Amino acid sequence: MKRFKSQASIILASLLTSVALADYTPGVEAWNIESAPPQQTLVVRNATVWTAGEQGILEQADVLVREGRIRGVGTDLTAPADALEIDGSGMHVTPGIIDAHSHAAIIGGVNEATDISTAQVRIEDVVDSESINIYRQLAGGVTAINLLHGSANAIGGQMAVIKMRWGASPEELMFEAAAPGIKFALGENPKQSNWNNDDPRYPQSRPGVAQIIDEKFQQAVDYRSKLERMSERRRARNVVPPRPDLEMDAIVEILDGVRKIHSHAYRADEMVMLINIAESFGVTIGTFQHVLEGYKLARRMAEHGAGGSTFIDWWNFKHEAHDAIPYNPALMAMGGVTVGLHSDNPELARRMNLEAAKAVRYGDVDEHDALIMITANPARQLGVGERTGRLEEGLDADFVIWNGHPLSVYSRVEQTWVDGRRYFDREADRAQREALDAERRELIAMVLEEGKNDEAPEESAAEDEGPDWLIGYRASELAHDEFCHAQGIDHRHGGHEIDFRSGE
Amino acid sequence: MSTMTRIANTVAAMLAMAAAAGAVLVGSGLVGTALAQDTITALVGATVHPVDGDPIENGIVLVEGRNIAAIGAGVEIPANAEVVDVAGSHIYPGFVHPLSSLGLTEIGSVAGTVDTTEMGAINAALRVEVAFNHDSALLPVNIAGGILTTHTVPSGGLIRGTSAVMNMDGWSWEDMTIKAPAAMHIDFPAGAVDDSDNDDLKKIESVLDAARDWHKAMQAFEAGNAPRPPRNAQLEALVPLIEGQLPLFLYAGKEDQILAALDWAEGQAFERVIVVGGPDLQYVAERLAADGIPAILNGVYTMPTRRWEAYDMAYQAAGKLFEAGVKFAIGDGGGGFGAANARNLPFQAGSSAAFGMPKDAALKSVTLWPAEILGIDDQLGSLAAGKRASLIVTSGDPLEPMTQIRRVWIDGKEYDLKRSKHRQLFERYKGRIQGEAE
Repeated sequence: MKRFKSQASIILASLLTSVALADYTPGVEAWNIESAPPQQTLVVRNATVWTAGEQGILEQADVLVREGRIRGVGTDLTAPADALEIDGSGMHVTPGIIDAHSHAAIIGGVNEATDISTAQVRIEDVVDSESINIYRQLAGGVTAINLLHGSANAIGGQMAVIKMRWGASPEELMFEAAAPGIKFALGENPKQSNWNNDDPRYPQSRPGVAQIIDEKFQQAVDYRSKLERMSERRRARNVVPPRPDLEMDAIVEILDGVRKIHSHAYRADEMVMLINIAESFGVTIGTFQHVLEGYKLARRMAEHGAGGSTFIDWWNFKHEAHDAIPYNPALMAMGGVTVGLHSDNPELARRMNLEAAKAVRYGDVDEHDALIMITANPARQLGVGERTGRLEEGLDADFVIWNGHPLSVYSRVEQTWVDGRRYFDREADRAQREALDAERRELIAMVLEEGKNDEAPEESAAEDEGPDWLIGYRASELAHDEFCHAQGIDHRHGGHEIDFRSGE
Repeated sequence: MSTMTRIANTVAAMLAMAAAAGAVLVGSGLVGTALAQDTITALVGATVHPVDGDPIENGIVLVEGRNIAAIGAGVEIPANAEVVDVAGSHIYPGFVHPLSSLGLTEIGSVAGTVDTTEMGAINAALRVEVAFNHDSALLPVNIAGGILTTHTVPSGGLIRGTSAVMNMDGWSWEDMTIKAPAAMHIDFPAGAVDDSDNDDLKKIESVLDAARDWHKAMQAFEAGNAPRPPRNAQLEALVPLIEGQLPLFLYAGKEDQILAALDWAEGQAFERVIVVGGPDLQYVAERLAADGIPAILNGVYTMPTRRWEAYDMAYQAAGKLFEAGVKFAIGDGGGGFGAANARNLPFQAGSSAAFGMPKDAALKSVTLWPAEILGIDDQLGSLAAGKRASLIVTSGDPLEPMTQIRRVWIDGKEYDLKRSKHRQLFERYKGRIQGEAE
């Protein structure tokens, strides 16, 4: 992994002859930490507590936390003598935000785009635990995210749900309670509509996408029956087991209901199609992702049991997003769908509370229900609804302290806690930025001093480090889904090649 | 043809052109006034937020024809006025988008619907208003979000052409043009930051020099001292910039690029420069304030420019500009997708207020200040007598994403928000979902 640019290499080299910076830790980039903060016993007093559960919003309430779990939510709670007391007066406490569609911490590519089905690949193998996105999203109140494979193929890779345990190893990030899941994709992306592709593969149409999914499911049924016959006859020495097939293994898990489908989808027709195929195999879809036209089949989704995980207001960035409307969450909820809002974008993920606020704007969703769309509901969609997403006794102590109404544009996150550990604290952040600034100035002075007689380093050509208006990032920290790369369109505005259609 | 005749012809042609330009400038005003001449509307009962003054509880906005006739608590309502009760609501001026591609783009990934970006490096002679699609589906959707005026800009090449300030509603681009040309647009090449021999910069400079030469030749011709220089659309289009009649929007993203661009612009002695940059503008705030250079701040909702910077680096940029005394407007990323969601402009101002900018300044940064920077503050940007009655009636603070925009008036007439495709689909499918439930 290339973690330092040439200038940083010189800084490191100069450090060999100078030990002026006692607290400088080579190998740790700015903001990264080496170990988790301690787990604490604490009580937040006299705050407005948004439970995202049956208790609704509690005024002047306390939240008690011990051993990483919520031990009580209510008024005048008795706390252990050694508990950290946080004065929540004027503050609001909410569950941590859960983002059910993210690519924000994936090393080495979001898409295994080679084949129409890559069910065998696992995002779990490429989690980037040092992505700055984890810290930045903690600063926006996010406590768990679903790292999804991209949308280049009809059947994509297996997803990984992580908790934002900043400073932990990739293994420790895994949210072990999450239901196994897999990415599917329908429409323009798997049929390669927006690719400049000299070497197209099947399929290039929506009927083709439907056909290939159906065929893969049939193959998996055959594969499963071979496996089953094996176990029946396993004592017979003359039976050769089927060749192990990791792709088929994953699809069998889908058929068995163990692995949930999370399918990228835009248009109503293609969602009805997938429900149709799934039902013919006795499968229930976990969620439709993006689900832009979900409002057109809300009752059908609800009947089937599929959740909807959507953008609040992205629309018209491609043709299949033509009928996307910001009222979609309100309408899907009206139709009985479990609705969540997602980011699909490492920058947007930092302000999901404002995306929820727009559900109030568009369609009069109740404020507490809007908050549920970024907390309890995405938790349910990922199979962790009994572990996180609400402030209730026994659930994980994943919560956020805001300095005002959590859906207000004028509010900020003051603290974000995961498993009873304080991973973000605005005050500490402010101290840290000063320390980093001082360290940076010191390093630059050292480099200038020591490098006086050296020749200037050659600019190392950035290989895949993202757009040139962002500096010092690793490619994985700017990872998006396939679509933006496929587009290859520069829109220069104010020197910023900002293409807000990126993502997917 | 004698020299004298040629001069006479040229003068006549120039007068005709000036008249035509004048007609464009005031055209919509004449039409608007003619149509709405007899209409007097009084919006009563709301809290009126003029932006350049304190909020007025239970205020009255009196609209006569296209314009605001009066605002205040004790405005006398003429007997023939239509009284519209908007009690419990708030009235604000519409947002002025300082930099968008609204009208030029529909679906970002469908090339046939996108006219934002011309090929080639030198596009000075382009004017965007001629391609402004007055029936773009993006316009009603963004009007429903309170964007009532757009500065629509070209975005292809180094010298990109001229932009136009456009009304968001109308029957053709001619009607909708508030100001065109509004500015010339030049992208300061990133490669020119520490390379004065940069090819792109040299190209820009050589074209500007050629335009100056052409202009001198033209002046000599007009004085009768030389033959008429051959027509050259690109050079001719640059004359208003060189002569100081047209402002320059100069694009530079990062700190070093902005500083280099400012130095370069100083050397070129442009009359009026507006810098378009990212959150790095905060690092050159002192310089901008000292030089009196206004800025368009793009990218409040982007990642911090550098990985090592604080998470709220972009959120606090506007506050830093405000502190330093820079005149600025908040923009967004532009581009195809930016245009579709131009309606999110006010939230970027709101987020800036969460991280250091006073709330009233945040409101100005998407209303009055863009109007001032674009030179249309005599018509738009605040609620005041004599200005266009382009306003929004809201459930509360319009910088809050939770707030709903209830009604909209553009140029003195109520706009039917059901023209927004999003509201149409909402109503249609709400009916279906409720019907299914029965």
